[in-house]
Amino acid sequence: MAKARALDRRRRSIRNIRKITRTMELISRAQFKRAMDRATAASAYTKRITKLVGDLVHSGLEVSHPLLTTPPETLHAGLLVLTANRGMCGGYNAGVLRLANLRLKELQDDDVAVRLEVSGKRGISAFRFRGVRPDEQYTHFEDKPTFEQVNSLAVRYLDDFTAGRLDRLDVAYTRFESSSRQEAVVETLLPLTKLEGGEEVHSEKEVQYDFLPSAASLLDEVVPMSFKVKLFKCFLDAAVSEQIARMVAMKAATDNADKMISMLSMAYNRARQGQITGELLEIIGGAEAISG
Amino acid sequence: MIMQCIIVTPERTLRDQPADFIVVTLEDGEIGIASGHAPLLGRLGYGEMRVSQAGKTERFYVEGGFLEVLENVVTVLTPRAAPAEQIDPAVAREQLFSALSKPAPSGELLAVRNRAVAISRARLRVARRTQP
Repeated sequence: MAKARALDRRRRSIRNIRKITRTMELISRAQFKRAMDRATAASAYTKRITKLVGDLVHSGLEVSHPLLTTPPETLHAGLLVLTANRGMCGGYNAGVLRLANLRLKELQDDDVAVRLEVSGKRGISAFRFRGVRPDEQYTHFEDKPTFEQVNSLAVRYLDDFTAGRLDRLDVAYTRFESSSRQEAVVETLLPLTKLEGGEEVHSEKEVQYDFLPSAASLLDEVVPMSFKVKLFKCFLDAAVSEQIARMVAMKAATDNADKMISMLSMAYNRARQGQITGELLEIIGGAEAISG
Repeated sequence: MIMQCIIVTPERTLRDQPADFIVVTLEDGEIGIASGHAPLLGRLGYGEMRVSQAGKTERFYVEGGFLEVLENVVTVLTPRAAPAEQIDPAVAREQLFSALSKPAPSGELLAVRNRAVAISRARLRVARRTQP
């Protein structure tokens, strides 16, 4: 009986694990939906800002802004790494961290003072494991980063950049391309190399806008805004990708558990049947011995 | 002609409905927009936005951003907006005091402080008009 019972116990524990992974999959599916809705809402804003930039550029304005100029030499760099607060999401965190470490090393090899900022408990503990102390760590960006939270970060970067305390800002995060494709990337957000929407050619007839108070003043406001929106998009993308990664990982875990349960069931049935056969043989043997 | 009034923040679209007349605060004062307005791009200040539709007036608090008027569609792009009733005067007052009490030893910090003061004053103004 011993073997069959051990098999049964294992099967039961795997069933419990399956229940957990299945629930986690469902939770992350719901969260993914919510995160996706937020990302869609944000893209409406982004699209309009991009269009605004296009309109401004086409009004024949000379585009120049301190944020658009590359500092003569890079002495101080910032590296922001966006990871998850929780694990159980496959290679999501590892992918971002691998790229972030590469970029960190690259920058340090160029003798640049790097200010490392990490968001997410997973990233923080991974850097601690490597003996790197992040200059700043955030754990408050959950699956719903608000614009307010991101804005306060963005304002600090912008202030540092204009004051010359920051010459370059890289963000390592997982870019959301489609629901079946997300990719870990490192993007340079500062200096803004180009304004999106500037190079688009308007095919439809040109609209002559009035600018209030002036096109230059609008540009002054649009450039920092487009940086903030970009940074916000990084956070949103990371949140959406995290949920997708978790969904996929948990789905795979549930499927694996299913497979194991059916294998264990088969082994258990076989062991039980073997046991019954053994017992029967014993009884028959005993009966034969008595009658014979 | 019906004019469409859209208010968009990075987090959501606050309003996407027709309107008869709109008043928004630009950087240097209020502007009124009726149907058939010429194409316009404007920089918004901190303050109130009033939207009249069928005799009723909705009031919003808008914190900077941009205004675009094109072919009877008025789009307000702002980092932060809320219906005026949601602004709490007590909180706004608190913000104003904390902003005023911040030290500003350098030009940059002074600019930051001025911004915070302007924002909290605008919030307070909007909140006071709701609750006389």
